[in-house]
Amino acid sequence: MEWTPKLSPSGDEAEIALVGDYDLYHAPLFSAFVLGKIEGGWNRVSLNLSGVSYLDSTGVGSIIRIAQALRKKGAKLRCRGLSGSPRRVLEMSNVIALLEEDRPERASS
Amino acid sequence: MKPLIIRKLIVDERNELFDAQGMRYAEFASDYSRIREYASFILEGCPEAFREGNLLEQQLSEIIKNGIKHGNRCDPAKRLRVWYDLRKRARFIVEDEGEGFLELEAWNEFYRKRQTALHREDFDEFLALASYRGPSSDETDGGNSLIAALEYWNGGMIYNAKKNKVGVVRWFSGGSD
Repeated sequence: MEWTPKLSPSGDEAEIALVGDYDLYHAPLFSAFVLGKIEGGWNRVSLNLSGVSYLDSTGVGSIIRIAQALRKKGAKLRCRGLSGSPRRVLEMSNVIALLEEDRPERASS
Repeated sequence: MKPLIIRKLIVDERNELFDAQGMRYAEFASDYSRIREYASFILEGCPEAFREGNLLEQQLSEIIKNGIKHGNRCDPAKRLRVWYDLRKRARFIVEDEGEGFLELEAWNEFYRKRQTALHREDFDEFLALASYRGPSSDETDGGNSLIAALEYWNGGMIYNAKKNKVGVVRWFSGGSD
């Protein structure tokens, strides 16, 4: 899995685009990266998961740890681009309730 | 408000889910780096309707991971045994050579508290309880695989008396191809 953070001008908000499998082999490294950044000053994080087609329980655990770290700063983890089995996994583990989801606006007809 | 649903992990040595008659069989070394490869191997030839994208592979990988990591503690001398049947439904029996899931009752209590917090919409409490942390948990453990598993395996998820063997079934509304 690869990830690309995009920072706000103030440097304390990040949107991270993830591509690949958010799984037991990749999630721990990603968690360590984001948790380190939150400790270092990021106050808001948004995950773009549109490039993730596989999410397992280690990935869900990583999302929970990021949500817990942000909660200590009074913020909620945002995400977008959720679909397919990653969405199902988050629904089945009830973790989707912890996320603030940005859904695409419907095109006007 | 949605109804409060609290499922449980169940121990039943004589459950029919442990009847391996007619099932295919494979066994694997306890190699953590090959967990997803093992799941893919078992699912070769699986009807597309059962795969649901990669959801079946993901849920099977979780059970294999639990056996290799928590059961066999990645000991290369210990084997993981898998019986599987992909006719009409997806059915698996996975057995490791470990001491068994000794914290099963503690996990059931954790899950009850977690679901109750969610039902009360107490998100701070729910967030604190979002992941189960057992004595052998580390950063590679999401602490939530069994929560999704209880919902996913809609035909049952049963442990044997020693709790080192689990039987699971998922039925599909559309049936196989």
